[in-house]
Amino acid sequence: MNSTSRIWTTTGLISGVSTVLLLCGFLYAVKDIMNPLGAPIFDEQTRQESVLPTPEIESVLDVTAIGDSLAKGTGDDTGNGYARRTVQILKERGDQSKLVNNLGINGLTTAKLIPLLDEKGVQYVLKQSGVILLSIGGNDLFQETEKFQSGGELPTEMELEKSVTEASENFKQIVKKLVDINPDAQLVYVSLYNPFADLEGIKEIGNKAVTHWNSLAMQTMSEYKRTLVVPTYDLFSNNGPLYLSGDHFHPNGEGYQSIAERIVQGLGKSVVE
Amino acid sequence: MTANNRVVGEQQQTVLSVQHIKKKIGKKWIVQDVTFEVKAGEIFGFLGPNGAGKTTTIRMLVDLIRPTEGKIQICGYDVQKQPEQALAYVGSIVENPEVYTYLTGWENLEHFARMMPGVSTARIAEVVDTVRLGARIHDKVKTYSLGMRQRLGIAQALLGRPKLLIMDEPTNGLDPKGIKELRVFIRKLAEEGMAVFVSSHLLSEIQLLCDRVAIISQGRVLAVGTVEELIADGTNYVVWQLEPRAGGEALLIADGVRLVEDPDNVLDVAILAGMGDHAIVTIMSPDQIANQVSRLVKQGISVESVQKINPTLEQLFLEMTEGEGIE
Amino acid sequence: MIPLVKNEMIKMIKKKRFYVILLVLVVLVPMFAYAQLKVSMNSQEKYGDDWRRQVQQGITDNQNSLGSDRVPEEWKKYRKIYIQQMKYYLEHDINPQQTGGVSFTREFLNNAATLFIPLLIMGVGSDIVSSERTTGTVKMLLTRPIRRWKILLSKLITLLMFVSLIVVSAYVICYLISGLFFGYGGFNMPVLTGFVLNGAEVDISGVHAVPQWEYLLMQAGLIWFVSITVAMLAFMVSVLVRSTAASIVIMMAALIAGNILTNMASAWTSAKYLFMVNLGLTNYLAGSPAPIEGMTLGFSLMILAIWAVCSLFVSFLVFTKQDILN
Repeated sequence: MNSTSRIWTTTGLISGVSTVLLLCGFLYAVKDIMNPLGAPIFDEQTRQESVLPTPEIESVLDVTAIGDSLAKGTGDDTGNGYARRTVQILKERGDQSKLVNNLGINGLTTAKLIPLLDEKGVQYVLKQSGVILLSIGGNDLFQETEKFQSGGELPTEMELEKSVTEASENFKQIVKKLVDINPDAQLVYVSLYNPFADLEGIKEIGNKAVTHWNSLAMQTMSEYKRTLVVPTYDLFSNNGPLYLSGDHFHPNGEGYQSIAERIVQGLGKSVVE
Repeated sequence: MTANNRVVGEQQQTVLSVQHIKKKIGKKWIVQDVTFEVKAGEIFGFLGPNGAGKTTTIRMLVDLIRPTEGKIQICGYDVQKQPEQALAYVGSIVENPEVYTYLTGWENLEHFARMMPGVSTARIAEVVDTVRLGARIHDKVKTYSLGMRQRLGIAQALLGRPKLLIMDEPTNGLDPKGIKELRVFIRKLAEEGMAVFVSSHLLSEIQLLCDRVAIISQGRVLAVGTVEELIADGTNYVVWQLEPRAGGEALLIADGVRLVEDPDNVLDVAILAGMGDHAIVTIMSPDQIANQVSRLVKQGISVESVQKINPTLEQLFLEMTEGEGIE
Repeated sequence: MIPLVKNEMIKMIKKKRFYVILLVLVVLVPMFAYAQLKVSMNSQEKYGDDWRRQVQQGITDNQNSLGSDRVPEEWKKYRKIYIQQMKYYLEHDINPQQTGGVSFTREFLNNAATLFIPLLIMGVGSDIVSSERTTGTVKMLLTRPIRRWKILLSKLITLLMFVSLIVVSAYVICYLISGLFFGYGGFNMPVLTGFVLNGAEVDISGVHAVPQWEYLLMQAGLIWFVSITVAMLAFMVSVLVRSTAASIVIMMAALIAGNILTNMASAWTSAKYLFMVNLGLTNYLAGSPAPIEGMTLGFSLMILAIWAVCSLFVSFLVFTKQDILN
């Protein structure tokens, strides 16, 4: 008798209160979703705060990779790419290092990289890094060539040359932005190789374009302190089958390892300095 | 309530009136034309084999099933049109007394009490007392025996002081002692003025308990009447023991008396058992017996015994349904 | 009516169904909380305390999959929207993945809204009428001097009260248990809402931050609405089907089918008129894309309401007319 009355009062009361609460929540939600308030709350309070705090750099050898599929490590079966391999080698060598982020995005061109560098999250990551590994330009030059591989038309020397000039203008902007974002970091540019060194018909003009590009890049980079260009051209011109992955375009694990070793060699010198 | 009822008085008041109800389920007529009335203070038996339409009829009485045709009134209220008024006068146990096994007996009664007007806690205590469940009423029903559940079922039926109590096969699952108690109990309720409607396929049960009986088979009411009327209407068997048997038999036949060829089929084995092989079973009016005895004696046949046997409802039933069979 | 509701309430409590539901929550929540703890420990290892790096990596990873031909177009839409939202969070320096009892509760219920909570509701709803028929007690109920619709209404009211109880208990249990893992704070943490989706683009003009407790309140309200709809459907099935087991199976099949459809059938646009596809109301709050083009909160509310009203109509029609034959 008592127990049933108690059940009734407590359960009834709690569920009554719950229902009212939930109903309020529901009406509030409907109102809020149907007529979003707009952003006034932020305008007042967070505009000033919305600049991300400047992070502290833990080690001058903390690595961030940015750029295209090479930065990402496409083609490496282990998924490590040269970014993680570089960190590994540094660690094995006894240095304190970690991979901050790998911001490599497949298919990225110079034009697409520029707006990315304006993003706060990207800047935040870059500011935290002692070493920035940049790889870009390959897609500007060879996207057309990839089409050729699947039966499209071969790019002419003129066209390639045009791509090189356009991209190198973008490249200047990129390097400037990177240096502006983090002037203290060691900026490493992994320069281009000709992936079609074994492909008659394009080998010649490819070589020419890549060489031209690399020299332009070298020029741009040399305008800034704490920059480094790592050559890869020679690695792949004779050892293509050994270092290229199944797609004949991206390096395989071995290829990335060799690039990483070169990066570390380069770094070693710079750090000592 | 009609003026007529008032004149006739409380004892004769019609509590339940069933007029030509029919029920069709799918393409089959489960109940075809059932009509009867139950008056206050009487125990009314509803008799029929399994599948005769008893349960369907009972469900129509308490608004669980809607009749396809016909009208049911309880204390003057139409069950279909005014269920709230009509069902207030009814207490019922349809088939087994299914109560909530996860509640205690008391909680069950409280539950049902909340569903009808004017049932106080005192009244609940009273019915618990009536069915003598006091000792276990606060135990969970799942710990009850079938008999106790039956009593709890009766208790909930009595809660609202009904004028009509409907019980479907109330003796199912009870032991002989329980059945006897139930019989006494029902009789007491009827004496207090309640109309009791009891269905059963056990004829002996109905015969012992009921004042009036309706016999139903294949969805039709075959007969309605007091138990005495129904029995008197039927055939009387007379069992003779004559010496010499053959001569007596010949004399009886000569006078046009019908003999029963195969007595085992019509009479209870128990009755025949005491009679030996010489018994002659005849069908005749009881007032003929004296005549026949003197005729036989005159012809030198010695009459060892003459026994008049009133037919039981079983026999009645067999005759009416032409041997459809009954448990 | 009140005595009838009281009866149903007492039966529901005494039948211990509700306790079973609470028990399920008490057992399951720690498992999810533990899994979540593992996840956050992993990312702790990788990114330290720096959630910004983690969010940025999430953005980059999703950008990568946008370029892949192997990723279905449909998923790309989800990822584009995710990327834009994460960028927005980063720009405003709000951690979208902050761990804490309150955040865990929000995340958990966001995921539970379309299947887990409806299943719990269904466990109560599918049973409420059919159990009376399975045990035969429906005869006792319906031979009382009370109109059938009143009896059914009392059951419906009771069911709705338990819907509220279940939704609120899910929150309370989730908060209390996850608090053990992640701490009890986070009520005032800002959460962004108001992302409006136009196709694959996110309109951020309406985005604003609300304190997390307000977000939880809105989320609970939406889950409550979904639960009521599910409850009414389960109620109808419970009236139509005599056996509790069968009615649970029917509802379960419908809910799970809905979940599968939501994940795959955006090509079949008429699926948006099915109730099961519209259970993800909380997505509108979080700014996740609707499973089928053209679905909005208003649309989903309408569809759910129509289904709920229809099933109520059927329930009452059938219950008041049907013959109780067994």
